[in-house]
Amino acid sequence: MIEFRNVGKTYRSLLGNSVKAVEEFSLEVMKGEILGIAGPNGAGKSTLIAMLLGYLRPTTGTLEIDGLPARAYVERNGIGYLSELIAINPKWRADDALARLATLAGIPESRVATRVDEVIAQLGLEEHRAKKVKALSKGNLQRLGLAQALLREERLLILDEPTHGLDPVWTQRFRDIVGQLRSPDRTILIASHNLDELQRLTDRVAIIDHGRLQRVVRTGHGHDQATATRFRIVLVTGLEKMREAFPDAEPAGKGEFAVTVGSLQQLNASLAELIGKGALVASVVPERSALEQQFREAVGESQ
Amino acid sequence: MMAPGGRLAKYALWQFRDFATEKGISLLIIGLLLGFVQLLPFRLPGSPELTTERITRIIGTLANTILLIWVFITVNGIISNDRKLGYYRFLFAKPVRPIQYYGQLWLVYLLGLLTALALVSGLFVVFVGRFNVWNLALYATLLYISLGGIGFFVSAITKHELPVLAGIWLGSSVLRAMYGNDTGWKNRALDLLPPVHIMDGVAVSLMTTGTADLGRVVWIVGYGLLFVGLGLVVLHRRPLGG
Repeated sequence: MIEFRNVGKTYRSLLGNSVKAVEEFSLEVMKGEILGIAGPNGAGKSTLIAMLLGYLRPTTGTLEIDGLPARAYVERNGIGYLSELIAINPKWRADDALARLATLAGIPESRVATRVDEVIAQLGLEEHRAKKVKALSKGNLQRLGLAQALLREERLLILDEPTHGLDPVWTQRFRDIVGQLRSPDRTILIASHNLDELQRLTDRVAIIDHGRLQRVVRTGHGHDQATATRFRIVLVTGLEKMREAFPDAEPAGKGEFAVTVGSLQQLNASLAELIGKGALVASVVPERSALEQQFREAVGESQ
Repeated sequence: MMAPGGRLAKYALWQFRDFATEKGISLLIIGLLLGFVQLLPFRLPGSPELTTERITRIIGTLANTILLIWVFITVNGIISNDRKLGYYRFLFAKPVRPIQYYGQLWLVYLLGLLTALALVSGLFVVFVGRFNVWNLALYATLLYISLGGIGFFVSAITKHELPVLAGIWLGSSVLRAMYGNDTGWKNRALDLLPPVHIMDGVAVSLMTTGTADLGRVVWIVGYGLLFVGLGLVVLHRRPLGG
Protein backbone atom coordinates (compact mmCIF):
# COMPACT_ATOMS: atom_id res chain seq x y z
CA MET A 1 0.00 0.00 0.00
CA ILE A 2 2.64 2.57 1.09
CA GLU A 3 6.30 2.28 0.23
CA PHE A 4 8.98 4.64 1.50
CA ARG A 5 12.27 3.96 -0.27
CA ASN A 6 15.29 5.82 1.11
CA VAL A 7 13.15 8.89 1.55
CA GLY A 8 14.94 12.02 2.68
CA LYS A 9 13.81 15.59 3.14
CA THR A 10 16.12 18.52 3.59
CA TYR A 11 14.85 22.02 4.25
CA ARG A 12 16.99 24.76 2.80
CA SER A 13 16.84 28.40 3.74
CA LEU A 14 17.48 31.26 1.33
CA LEU A 15 20.80 31.84 3.12
CA GLY A 16 21.93 28.35 2.25
CA ASN A 17 21.45 26.75 5.65
CA SER A 18 19.95 23.29 5.52
CA VAL A 19 18.24 21.01 8.00
CA LYS A 20 17.73 17.32 7.37
CA ALA A 21 14.22 16.56 8.63
CA VAL A 22 14.08 12.98 7.30
CA GLU A 23 16.97 10.74 6.23
CA GLU A 24 17.09 7.42 4.39
CA PHE A 25 13.65 6.40 5.58
CA SER A 26 12.56 3.05 4.18
CA LEU A 27 9.40 1.27 5.26
CA GLU A 28 6.58 -0.68 3.70
CA VAL A 29 3.08 -0.42 5.11
CA MET A 30 0.73 -3.19 4.11
CA LYS A 31 -2.92 -2.95 3.14
CA GLY A 32 -5.13 -3.59 6.16
CA GLU A 33 -2.41 -2.64 8.61
CA ILE A 34 -2.62 -0.08 11.40
CA LEU A 35 0.79 1.49 11.76
CA GLY A 36 1.80 3.80 14.56
CA ILE A 37 4.42 6.49 14.16
CA ALA A 38 6.14 7.52 17.36
CA GLY A 39 9.00 9.87 18.03
CA PRO A 40 9.99 12.82 20.15
CA ASN A 41 9.18 16.38 19.11
CA GLY A 42 11.01 17.34 15.95
CA ALA A 43 11.74 13.72 15.04
CA GLY A 44 10.32 14.14 11.55
CA LYS A 45 6.80 12.73 11.98
CA SER A 46 5.02 15.78 10.56
CA THR A 47 7.41 15.95 7.61
CA LEU A 48 6.75 12.29 6.83
CA ILE A 49 3.00 12.86 6.92
CA ALA A 50 3.27 16.01 4.79
CA MET A 51 5.17 13.97 2.20
CA LEU A 52 2.50 11.26 2.32
CA LEU A 53 -0.12 13.85 1.42
CA GLY A 54 2.08 15.35 -1.27
CA TYR A 55 2.32 18.64 0.62
CA LEU A 56 6.08 18.25 0.57
CA ARG A 57 8.25 16.47 -1.96
CA PRO A 58 11.05 14.17 -0.83
CA THR A 59 14.50 15.57 -1.53
CA THR A 60 15.79 12.04 -2.08
CA GLY A 61 14.23 8.61 -2.52
CA THR A 62 10.69 7.74 -3.57
CA LEU A 63 7.37 7.52 -1.81
CA GLU A 64 4.52 5.65 -3.44
CA ILE A 65 0.97 4.81 -2.43
CA ASP A 66 -0.56 1.95 -4.39
CA GLY A 67 2.20 2.36 -6.96
CA LEU A 68 1.49 6.07 -7.52
CA PRO A 69 3.47 9.11 -6.38
CA ALA A 70 1.83 10.30 -3.16
CA ARG A 71 0.23 13.47 -4.53
CA ALA A 72 -1.13 11.65 -7.58
CA TYR A 73 -2.72 9.07 -5.28
CA VAL A 74 -4.35 11.76 -3.12
CA GLU A 75 -5.69 13.68 -6.11
CA ARG A 76 -7.17 10.52 -7.53
CA ASN A 77 -8.49 8.83 -4.40
CA GLY A 78 -8.34 11.18 -1.44
CA ILE A 79 -7.12 10.38 2.04
CA GLY A 80 -8.95 10.53 5.35
CA TYR A 81 -6.64 12.96 7.09
CA LEU A 82 -6.72 14.43 10.55
CA SER A 83 -3.96 16.97 11.02
CA GLU A 84 -2.40 17.83 14.35
CA LEU A 85 -3.48 21.41 13.81
CA ILE A 86 -7.20 21.55 13.02
CA ALA A 87 -7.19 24.33 10.45
CA ILE A 88 -10.78 24.94 9.36
CA ASN A 89 -12.01 28.44 8.57
CA PRO A 90 -13.29 29.69 11.95
CA LYS A 91 -16.18 31.54 10.30
CA TRP A 92 -17.72 28.38 8.88
CA ARG A 93 -20.48 26.56 10.70
CA ALA A 94 -19.47 23.08 11.84
CA ASP A 95 -22.06 21.30 9.69
CA ASP A 96 -21.34 23.56 6.70
CA ALA A 97 -17.65 22.73 7.01
CA LEU A 98 -18.50 19.03 6.83
CA ALA A 99 -20.88 19.55 3.89
CA ARG A 100 -18.21 21.47 1.98
CA LEU A 101 -15.55 18.86 2.59
CA ALA A 102 -18.02 16.09 1.73
CA THR A 103 -18.60 17.83 -1.60
CA LEU A 104 -14.87 18.10 -2.24
CA ALA A 105 -14.50 14.46 -1.22
CA GLY A 106 -16.82 13.49 -4.05
CA ILE A 107 -19.81 12.32 -2.02
CA PRO A 108 -22.87 12.55 -4.30
CA GLU A 109 -25.16 15.52 -3.65
CA SER A 110 -28.02 13.24 -2.62
CA ARG A 111 -25.84 11.68 0.09
CA VAL A 112 -24.06 14.73 1.49
CA ALA A 113 -26.67 15.71 4.11
CA THR A 114 -27.12 12.12 5.27
CA ARG A 115 -23.42 11.49 5.52
CA VAL A 116 -22.86 14.73 7.41
CA ASP A 117 -25.62 13.75 9.87
CA GLU A 118 -24.02 10.33 10.29
CA VAL A 119 -20.54 11.59 11.16
CA ILE A 120 -21.99 14.29 13.41
CA ALA A 121 -23.86 11.60 15.33
CA GLN A 122 -20.82 9.31 15.34
CA LEU A 123 -18.66 12.02 16.88
CA GLY A 124 -21.37 13.36 19.21
CA LEU A 125 -21.45 16.81 17.67
CA GLU A 126 -25.26 17.16 17.41
CA GLU A 127 -25.54 20.09 19.79
CA HIS A 128 -22.56 21.86 18.23
CA ARG A 129 -23.41 21.44 14.55
CA ALA A 130 -24.84 24.93 14.10
CA LYS A 131 -21.95 26.63 15.90
CA LYS A 132 -19.21 28.49 14.11
CA VAL A 133 -15.91 26.62 14.14
CA LYS A 134 -14.37 29.40 16.23
CA ALA A 135 -16.95 28.74 18.96
CA LEU A 136 -15.97 25.08 19.38
CA SER A 137 -13.93 23.93 22.35
CA LYS A 138 -10.59 22.21 21.68
CA GLY A 139 -12.10 18.77 22.19
CA ASN A 140 -15.07 19.49 19.92
CA LEU A 141 -12.79 20.95 17.28
CA GLN A 142 -10.73 17.77 17.42
CA ARG A 143 -13.92 15.72 16.98
CA LEU A 144 -14.89 17.91 14.00
CA GLY A 145 -11.47 17.25 12.50
CA LEU A 146 -11.95 13.55 12.98
CA ALA A 147 -15.49 13.74 11.55
CA GLN A 148 -14.23 15.28 8.30
CA ALA A 149 -11.58 12.56 8.00
CA LEU A 150 -14.31 9.91 8.24
CA LEU A 151 -16.70 11.51 5.71
CA ARG A 152 -15.74 9.18 2.92
CA GLU A 153 -14.78 5.59 3.46
CA GLU A 154 -11.20 6.12 2.40
CA ARG A 155 -8.77 3.28 1.89
CA LEU A 156 -6.06 5.26 3.63
CA LEU A 157 -6.46 7.16 6.88
CA ILE A 158 -3.73 9.32 8.40
CA LEU A 159 -4.43 10.51 11.92
CA ASP A 160 -1.92 12.91 13.45
CA GLU A 161 -2.26 13.13 17.26
CA PRO A 162 -5.90 12.04 17.01
CA THR A 163 -6.76 12.13 20.73
CA HIS A 164 -5.05 15.45 21.42
CA GLY A 165 -7.51 17.50 23.47
CA LEU A 166 -10.08 14.72 23.84
CA ASP A 167 -11.46 13.86 27.26
CA PRO A 168 -11.15 10.25 28.53
CA VAL A 169 -14.66 9.33 27.33
CA TRP A 170 -13.96 10.49 23.79
CA THR A 171 -10.47 9.04 23.84
CA GLN A 172 -12.07 5.64 24.47
CA ARG A 173 -14.75 6.36 21.86
CA PHE A 174 -12.01 7.20 19.36
CA ARG A 175 -10.33 3.87 20.07
CA ASP A 176 -13.65 2.12 19.41
CA ILE A 177 -14.02 3.99 16.12
CA VAL A 178 -10.54 2.98 15.00
CA GLY A 179 -11.42 -0.59 15.94
CA GLN A 180 -14.51 -0.38 13.73
CA LEU A 181 -12.47 1.12 10.89
CA ARG A 182 -10.04 -1.77 10.87
CA SER A 183 -10.59 -3.59 7.58
CA PRO A 184 -8.49 -5.71 5.21
CA ASP A 185 -8.92 -2.95 2.56
CA ARG A 186 -7.97 -0.04 4.75
CA THR A 187 -4.59 1.14 5.94
CA ILE A 188 -4.43 3.44 8.94
CA LEU A 189 -1.45 5.50 10.10
CA ILE A 190 -1.57 7.02 13.55
CA ALA A 191 1.13 9.45 14.68
CA SER A 192 1.05 10.01 18.40
CA HIS A 193 3.12 10.79 21.45
CA ASN A 194 0.79 8.57 23.42
CA LEU A 195 2.57 5.21 23.43
CA ASP A 196 -0.22 3.55 25.39
CA GLU A 197 -2.64 4.52 22.64
CA LEU A 198 -0.35 3.20 19.91
CA GLN A 199 0.12 0.00 21.91
CA ARG A 200 -3.64 -0.55 22.02
CA LEU A 201 -4.53 0.41 18.47
CA THR A 202 -1.72 -0.53 16.13
CA ASP A 203 -0.15 -3.63 14.62
CA ARG A 204 3.30 -2.08 14.41
CA VAL A 205 4.91 1.12 15.52
CA ALA A 206 7.69 2.86 13.63
CA ILE A 207 9.90 4.74 16.05
CA ILE A 208 11.68 7.66 14.45
CA ASP A 209 14.16 10.12 15.81
CA HIS A 210 16.39 12.71 14.17
CA GLY A 211 14.57 11.95 10.92
CA ARG A 212 15.67 8.32 10.86
CA LEU A 213 13.71 5.17 11.36
CA GLN A 214 15.18 3.76 14.56
CA ARG A 215 13.19 0.55 14.77
CA VAL A 216 9.81 -1.00 14.05
CA VAL A 217 8.08 -2.62 17.02
CA ARG A 218 5.36 -5.21 16.59
CA THR A 219 2.51 -4.31 18.91
CA GLY A 220 -0.27 -6.69 17.82
CA HIS A 221 -2.81 -7.91 20.36
CA GLY A 222 -1.20 -9.64 23.38
CA HIS A 223 2.29 -9.02 22.12
CA ASP A 224 3.14 -6.49 24.77
CA GLN A 225 1.92 -8.61 27.64
CA ALA A 226 4.03 -11.51 26.42
CA THR A 227 7.20 -9.46 26.25
CA ALA A 228 6.80 -7.29 29.33
CA THR A 229 9.29 -8.33 31.96
CA ARG A 230 8.67 -5.94 34.84
CA PHE A 231 5.40 -5.73 36.72
CA ARG A 232 4.02 -3.90 39.73
CA ILE A 233 1.99 -6.12 42.05
CA VAL A 234 -0.19 -4.72 44.80
CA LEU A 235 -1.18 -7.00 47.69
CA VAL A 236 -3.93 -6.45 50.24
CA THR A 237 -2.83 -9.28 52.56
CA GLY A 238 0.07 -11.75 52.68
CA LEU A 239 2.82 -9.19 52.13
CA GLU A 240 5.24 -11.38 54.05
CA LYS A 241 4.71 -14.24 51.55
CA MET A 242 5.82 -12.12 48.58
CA ARG A 243 9.52 -13.02 48.75
CA GLU A 244 8.67 -16.74 48.86
CA ALA A 245 6.92 -16.55 45.47
CA PHE A 246 9.03 -13.74 43.99
CA PRO A 247 12.51 -13.86 45.54
CA ASP A 248 13.66 -10.64 43.77
CA ALA A 249 10.54 -8.59 44.63
CA GLU A 250 11.37 -4.98 45.53
CA PRO A 251 8.97 -3.36 48.04
CA ALA A 252 7.65 0.02 46.89
CA GLY A 253 5.46 0.80 49.92
CA LYS A 254 1.74 0.47 50.69
CA GLY A 255 1.67 -3.21 49.71
CA GLU A 256 3.21 -2.59 46.29
CA PHE A 257 6.13 -4.58 44.86
CA ALA A 258 8.16 -4.40 41.64
CA VAL A 259 9.02 -7.83 40.21
CA THR A 260 11.03 -9.02 37.23
CA VAL A 261 9.97 -12.23 35.48
CA GLY A 262 11.27 -14.18 32.49
CA SER A 263 7.89 -14.88 30.93
CA LEU A 264 4.14 -14.71 31.39
CA GLN A 265 4.17 -18.37 32.39
CA GLN A 266 6.62 -17.66 35.18
CA LEU A 267 4.54 -14.69 36.33
CA ASN A 268 1.37 -16.80 36.46
CA ALA A 269 3.08 -19.66 38.25
CA SER A 270 4.54 -17.34 40.89
CA LEU A 271 1.21 -15.56 41.32
CA ALA A 272 -0.54 -18.91 41.78
CA GLU A 273 2.01 -19.84 44.42
CA LEU A 274 1.52 -16.48 46.17
CA ILE A 275 -2.27 -16.80 46.17
CA GLY A 276 -1.91 -20.39 47.32
CA LYS A 277 -0.01 -19.15 50.35
CA GLY A 278 -3.01 -16.95 51.29
CA ALA A 279 -2.02 -13.61 49.76
CA LEU A 280 -4.80 -11.40 48.34
CA VAL A 281 -3.69 -9.72 45.06
CA ALA A 282 -5.26 -6.34 44.27
CA SER A 283 -3.56 -5.63 40.93
CA VAL A 284 -0.83 -6.73 38.51
CA VAL A 285 0.30 -4.06 36.03
CA PRO A 286 3.19 -4.08 33.54
CA GLU A 287 5.62 -1.52 34.88
CA ARG A 288 6.61 -0.35 31.46
CA SER A 289 5.15 -1.53 28.18
CA ALA A 290 7.42 -3.21 25.69
CA LEU A 291 6.76 -0.32 23.34
CA GLU A 292 7.76 2.24 25.92
CA GLN A 293 10.89 0.24 26.68
CA GLN A 294 11.75 0.02 23.00
CA PHE A 295 10.97 3.70 22.50
CA ARG A 296 13.32 4.72 25.30
CA GLU A 297 16.04 2.46 23.95
CA ALA A 298 15.60 3.64 20.36
CA VAL A 299 15.50 7.32 21.20
CA GLY A 300 18.33 6.92 23.67
CA GLU A 301 20.48 5.11 21.11
CA SER A 302 19.98 7.81 18.52
CA GLN A 303 21.17 10.57 20.85
CA MET B 1 -15.97 2.78 -1.40
CA MET B 2 -16.81 5.76 -3.60
CA ALA B 3 -15.61 6.40 -7.10
CA PRO B 4 -12.40 8.45 -7.25
CA GLY B 5 -12.53 12.21 -7.72
CA GLY B 6 -14.13 15.10 -5.90
CA ARG B 7 -16.95 17.39 -7.05
CA LEU B 8 -15.13 20.63 -7.56
CA ALA B 9 -17.69 22.26 -9.87
CA LYS B 10 -20.35 21.92 -7.18
CA TYR B 11 -17.94 23.44 -4.68
CA ALA B 12 -18.02 26.67 -6.73
CA LEU B 13 -21.21 27.60 -4.86
CA TRP B 14 -19.32 27.44 -1.56
CA GLN B 15 -16.49 29.48 -3.08
CA PHE B 16 -18.97 32.11 -4.20
CA ARG B 17 -20.49 32.19 -0.73
CA ASP B 18 -17.04 32.70 0.77
CA PHE B 19 -16.45 35.57 -1.63
CA ALA B 20 -19.74 37.18 -0.63
CA THR B 21 -19.07 36.98 3.10
CA GLU B 22 -15.34 37.60 3.18
CA LYS B 23 -14.82 40.08 0.36
CA GLY B 24 -18.17 41.07 -1.15
CA ILE B 25 -19.33 43.09 1.82
CA SER B 26 -16.05 45.03 1.91
CA LEU B 27 -16.33 45.74 -1.82
CA LEU B 28 -19.86 47.05 -1.44
CA ILE B 29 -18.96 49.30 1.48
CA ILE B 30 -15.92 50.74 -0.33
CA GLY B 31 -17.82 51.14 -3.59
CA LEU B 32 -20.78 52.87 -1.98
CA LEU B 33 -18.67 55.10 0.26
CA LEU B 34 -16.34 56.30 -2.50
CA GLY B 35 -19.19 56.48 -4.97
CA PHE B 36 -21.60 58.53 -2.94
CA VAL B 37 -18.90 60.88 -1.66
CA GLN B 38 -17.99 61.61 -5.30
CA LEU B 39 -21.54 61.69 -6.63
CA LEU B 40 -23.27 63.59 -3.85
CA PRO B 41 -22.20 67.08 -5.09
CA PHE B 42 -23.95 66.40 -8.38
CA ARG B 43 -27.24 65.72 -6.61
CA LEU B 44 -27.26 68.70 -4.31
CA PRO B 45 -30.04 71.30 -4.85
CA GLY B 46 -29.01 73.75 -7.52
CA SER B 47 -26.67 71.32 -9.28
CA PRO B 48 -26.95 71.37 -13.06
CA GLU B 49 -28.90 68.59 -14.79
CA LEU B 50 -26.67 65.58 -15.51
CA THR B 51 -26.58 64.38 -19.09
CA THR B 52 -25.87 60.74 -19.88
CA GLU B 53 -22.57 61.83 -21.38
CA ARG B 54 -21.56 63.64 -18.19
CA ILE B 55 -22.70 60.75 -15.99
CA THR B 56 -20.62 58.36 -18.06
CA ARG B 57 -17.55 60.56 -17.66
CA ILE B 58 -18.04 60.88 -13.91
CA ILE B 59 -18.65 57.15 -13.45
CA GLY B 60 -15.63 56.37 -15.64
CA THR B 61 -13.34 58.40 -13.41
CA LEU B 62 -14.89 56.93 -10.31
CA ALA B 63 -14.68 53.37 -11.65
CA ASN B 64 -10.94 53.73 -12.24
CA THR B 65 -10.37 54.19 -8.51
CA ILE B 66 -13.02 51.84 -7.17
CA LEU B 67 -12.26 48.94 -9.49
CA LEU B 68 -8.53 49.12 -8.85
CA ILE B 69 -9.13 48.84 -5.10
CA TRP B 70 -11.72 46.12 -5.66
CA VAL B 71 -9.37 43.97 -7.71
CA PHE B 72 -6.62 44.38 -5.10
CA ILE B 73 -9.01 43.24 -2.37
CA THR B 74 -10.45 40.42 -4.46
CA VAL B 75 -7.19 38.70 -5.37
CA ASN B 76 -5.49 39.40 -2.07
CA GLY B 77 -4.85 36.04 -0.40
CA ILE B 78 -6.54 34.05 -3.16
CA ILE B 79 -3.93 31.29 -2.80
CA SER B 80 -1.62 32.43 -0.03
CA ASN B 81 -4.32 32.58 2.67
CA ASP B 82 -4.86 28.82 2.55
CA ARG B 83 -1.12 28.31 2.85
CA LYS B 84 -0.71 30.85 5.64
CA LEU B 85 -3.63 29.61 7.69
CA GLY B 86 -3.13 25.92 6.96
CA TYR B 87 -6.59 25.42 5.40
CA TYR B 88 -4.99 23.55 2.51
CA ARG B 89 -4.36 20.58 4.77
CA PHE B 90 -7.96 19.36 4.83
CA LEU B 91 -9.00 20.77 1.45
CA PHE B 92 -6.36 18.96 -0.54
CA ALA B 93 -6.46 15.69 1.37
CA LYS B 94 -9.68 15.30 -0.63
CA PRO B 95 -9.41 14.12 -4.24
CA VAL B 96 -8.90 17.61 -5.64
CA ARG B 97 -6.14 19.13 -7.76
CA PRO B 98 -4.97 22.50 -6.42
CA ILE B 99 -4.57 23.95 -9.91
CA GLN B 100 -8.22 23.20 -10.70
CA TYR B 101 -9.38 24.43 -7.29
CA TYR B 102 -7.59 27.77 -7.53
CA GLY B 103 -8.25 28.20 -11.25
CA GLN B 104 -11.95 27.84 -10.50
CA LEU B 105 -11.62 30.19 -7.52
CA TRP B 106 -10.11 32.88 -9.74
CA LEU B 107 -13.11 32.65 -12.06
CA VAL B 108 -15.60 32.58 -9.18
CA TYR B 109 -14.01 35.73 -7.76
CA LEU B 110 -14.44 37.45 -11.15
CA LEU B 111 -18.10 36.51 -11.02
CA GLY B 112 -18.30 37.81 -7.47
CA LEU B 113 -16.67 41.10 -8.43
CA LEU B 114 -19.11 41.55 -11.32
CA THR B 115 -22.04 40.78 -9.02
CA ALA B 116 -20.85 43.45 -6.58
CA LEU B 117 -20.41 45.82 -9.52
CA ALA B 118 -23.98 45.14 -10.69
CA LEU B 119 -25.34 45.96 -7.22
CA VAL B 120 -23.34 49.17 -6.82
CA SER B 121 -24.00 50.27 -10.42
CA GLY B 122 -27.73 49.71 -9.90
CA LEU B 123 -27.67 52.05 -6.92
CA PHE B 124 -25.62 54.63 -8.83
CA VAL B 125 -28.13 54.51 -11.70
CA VAL B 126 -30.93 55.22 -9.22
CA PHE B 127 -28.89 58.02 -7.64
CA VAL B 128 -27.46 59.89 -10.64
CA GLY B 129 -29.18 58.49 -13.72
CA ARG B 130 -28.62 55.97 -16.46
CA PHE B 131 -25.21 54.99 -17.79
CA ASN B 132 -24.02 51.93 -19.67
CA VAL B 133 -23.42 49.27 -17.00
CA TRP B 134 -22.30 46.71 -19.59
CA ASN B 135 -19.38 48.87 -20.66
CA LEU B 136 -18.41 49.26 -17.03
CA ALA B 137 -18.63 45.49 -16.52
CA LEU B 138 -16.43 44.97 -19.56
CA TYR B 139 -13.83 47.33 -18.16
CA ALA B 140 -14.00 45.61 -14.75
CA THR B 141 -13.46 42.25 -16.45
CA LEU B 142 -10.42 43.53 -18.33
CA LEU B 143 -8.92 45.06 -15.20
CA TYR B 144 -9.55 41.86 -13.25
CA ILE B 145 -7.94 39.71 -15.93
CA SER B 146 -4.94 42.01 -16.11
CA LEU B 147 -4.27 42.96 -12.49
CA GLY B 148 -6.08 39.92 -11.06
CA GLY B 149 -3.99 37.64 -13.27
CA ILE B 150 -0.77 39.12 -11.94
CA GLY B 151 -2.21 38.95 -8.41
CA PHE B 152 -2.98 35.27 -8.87
CA PHE B 153 0.62 34.57 -9.81
CA VAL B 154 2.02 36.67 -6.98
CA SER B 155 -0.28 34.91 -4.50
CA ALA B 156 1.07 31.57 -5.71
CA ILE B 157 4.66 32.53 -4.99
CA THR B 158 4.48 34.70 -1.87
CA LYS B 159 2.41 35.14 1.24
CA HIS B 160 2.74 38.92 1.07
CA GLU B 161 1.11 39.63 -2.25
CA LEU B 162 -0.65 42.90 -1.43
CA PRO B 163 2.55 44.99 -1.06
CA VAL B 164 4.19 43.09 -3.94
CA LEU B 165 1.21 43.65 -6.22
CA ALA B 166 0.89 47.30 -5.24
CA GLY B 167 4.63 47.67 -5.85
CA ILE B 168 4.38 46.12 -9.31
CA TRP B 169 1.43 48.30 -10.30
CA LEU B 170 2.87 51.48 -8.86
CA GLY B 171 6.38 50.70 -10.12
CA SER B 172 5.08 50.13 -13.63
CA SER B 173 3.23 53.43 -13.60
CA VAL B 174 6.27 55.32 -12.31
CA LEU B 175 8.68 53.69 -14.78
CA ARG B 176 6.35 54.43 -17.66
CA ALA B 177 6.06 58.04 -16.56
CA MET B 178 9.86 58.27 -16.39
CA TYR B 179 10.88 56.40 -19.51
CA GLY B 180 7.71 56.20 -21.61
CA ASN B 181 8.97 58.77 -24.09
CA ASP B 182 12.47 57.34 -24.37
CA THR B 183 13.61 55.64 -27.49
CA GLY B 184 15.70 52.50 -27.51
CA TRP B 185 15.95 49.58 -25.10
CA LYS B 186 14.39 51.33 -22.10
CA ASN B 187 11.17 51.90 -23.97
CA ARG B 188 11.16 48.34 -25.29
CA ALA B 189 11.83 46.98 -21.80
CA LEU B 190 8.77 48.84 -20.56
CA ASP B 191 6.64 46.60 -22.76
CA LEU B 192 7.42 43.74 -20.38
CA LEU B 193 5.79 45.61 -17.50
CA PRO B 194 2.06 45.34 -16.73
CA PRO B 195 0.06 47.35 -19.27
CA VAL B 196 -1.12 49.99 -16.81
CA HIS B 197 -0.82 52.79 -19.38
CA ILE B 198 -3.00 50.95 -21.87
CA MET B 199 -5.65 50.27 -19.20
CA ASP B 200 -6.49 53.95 -18.79
CA GLY B 201 -6.98 54.50 -22.51
CA VAL B 202 -9.05 51.35 -22.88
CA ALA B 203 -11.15 52.34 -19.87
CA VAL B 204 -12.01 55.75 -21.32
CA SER B 205 -12.74 54.26 -24.72
CA LEU B 206 -14.91 51.49 -23.31
CA MET B 207 -16.87 53.76 -21.03
CA THR B 208 -17.58 56.41 -23.66
CA THR B 209 -17.95 54.44 -26.89
CA GLY B 210 -18.33 50.84 -25.72
CA THR B 211 -15.46 49.84 -27.99
CA ALA B 212 -11.70 49.64 -27.63
CA ASP B 213 -8.69 48.97 -29.78
CA LEU B 214 -8.65 45.21 -30.30
CA GLY B 215 -4.86 44.98 -30.23
CA ARG B 216 -4.72 46.68 -26.85
CA VAL B 217 -7.50 44.49 -25.45
CA VAL B 218 -5.72 41.36 -26.65
CA TRP B 219 -2.47 42.61 -25.07
CA ILE B 220 -4.21 43.24 -21.72
CA VAL B 221 -6.06 39.92 -21.72
CA GLY B 222 -3.04 37.98 -22.93
CA TYR B 223 -0.78 39.58 -20.33
CA GLY B 224 -3.19 38.74 -17.49
CA LEU B 225 -3.89 35.19 -18.66
CA LEU B 226 -0.17 34.55 -19.08
CA PHE B 227 0.26 35.27 -15.38
CA VAL B 228 -2.73 33.11 -14.45
CA GLY B 229 -1.03 30.33 -16.41
CA LEU B 230 2.27 30.97 -14.63
CA GLY B 231 0.45 30.86 -11.29
CA LEU B 232 -1.03 27.48 -12.22
CA VAL B 233 2.43 26.20 -13.19
CA VAL B 234 3.76 27.31 -9.79
CA LEU B 235 0.86 25.53 -8.07
CA HIS B 236 1.57 22.40 -10.06
CA ARG B 237 5.30 22.37 -9.41
CA ARG B 238 5.54 23.76 -5.89
CA PRO B 239 4.02 21.57 -3.16
CA LEU B 240 1.51 23.34 -0.94
CA GLY B 241 3.48 22.71 2.23
CA GLY B 242 6.70 24.08 0.76
